[in-house]
Amino acid sequence: MKKLGFRFFDITDYEQEQEYLALMHKKGWRFVKFYPPFVFVFASCEPEEYIYQLDYNKEGLENKAEYLKLFADCGWEYITEWMGYSYFRKPKSRANEDEGIFCDDESRLAMIERIFKGRMIPLLAIFFLIIIPQLFVQRNLAHIPLANFLYHSYIVLLIVYIGIFIKFAVSYWKLKGRVR
Amino acid sequence: MDPHIKKVYVPMTETGFYILLCLREEMHGYSIVQKVEKLTEGQIRLTPGTMYGSLSKMEKDGLISFVREEDKRKIYVITDLGKQVLSLEMARIERLYRNMKEAAQ
Repeated sequence: MKKLGFRFFDITDYEQEQEYLALMHKKGWRFVKFYPPFVFVFASCEPEEYIYQLDYNKEGLENKAEYLKLFADCGWEYITEWMGYSYFRKPKSRANEDEGIFCDDESRLAMIERIFKGRMIPLLAIFFLIIIPQLFVQRNLAHIPLANFLYHSYIVLLIVYIGIFIKFAVSYWKLKGRVR
Repeated sequence: MDPHIKKVYVPMTETGFYILLCLREEMHGYSIVQKVEKLTEGQIRLTPGTMYGSLSKMEKDGLISFVREEDKRKIYVITDLGKQVLSLEMARIERLYRNMKEAAQ
């Protein structure tokens, strides 16, 4: 039996996403596939405690066979990938206490830096090259109903993007503080 | 040695140190995980996300080099630069240990 889950996680929310997938597995729904931006496909299974982990490593995905082999050797089952993120899981019964795919804060920080390069820089480009200029263009045309609508849409986008940037910066600096 | 390399790797993480220590012999990532677990009596269990990231970073920085692939496992070995970094780290840890012993007396 299949089931769909509708949840939106932005690029800084991978920890919440991991918790969501673990919770679903505990309820007897194992994660199968993700359809962006917010549809998760689950299949029914025995309820069990699993650890779910996301890695962001494009280089790994370019050398996929070797990358996944290392995870498999360490007991991590590969599920699927999306936009540079790879999804892994491991039953809690076969894991050490608090086990994850990272064992020090330096490598957690390195992953956030990879997310920054791979995902945040494109978002920053969209923000500065499209959203900000369009905001001014549409505001000047605001007497036209469509432009007025677009103007307000861009304001919403502006707020969403600023929210993502702030969240990203906060999680980065938090981790950075722990590493130092 | 490039000051950037020194800045990044001295002092280095425990993971980084054990990787270089193990790679004085040719090894792949998972055999490093197993060896470190044995060396530390199960106290340190390296994990694949950390391991993969460290190996590719060290390879890029020239501390280790790729030797060959066996059954989809990449085998690496330490380079001369890697040995230099490792001996700097060893000297630092020895000093740390010596001072700790003296202070404890």
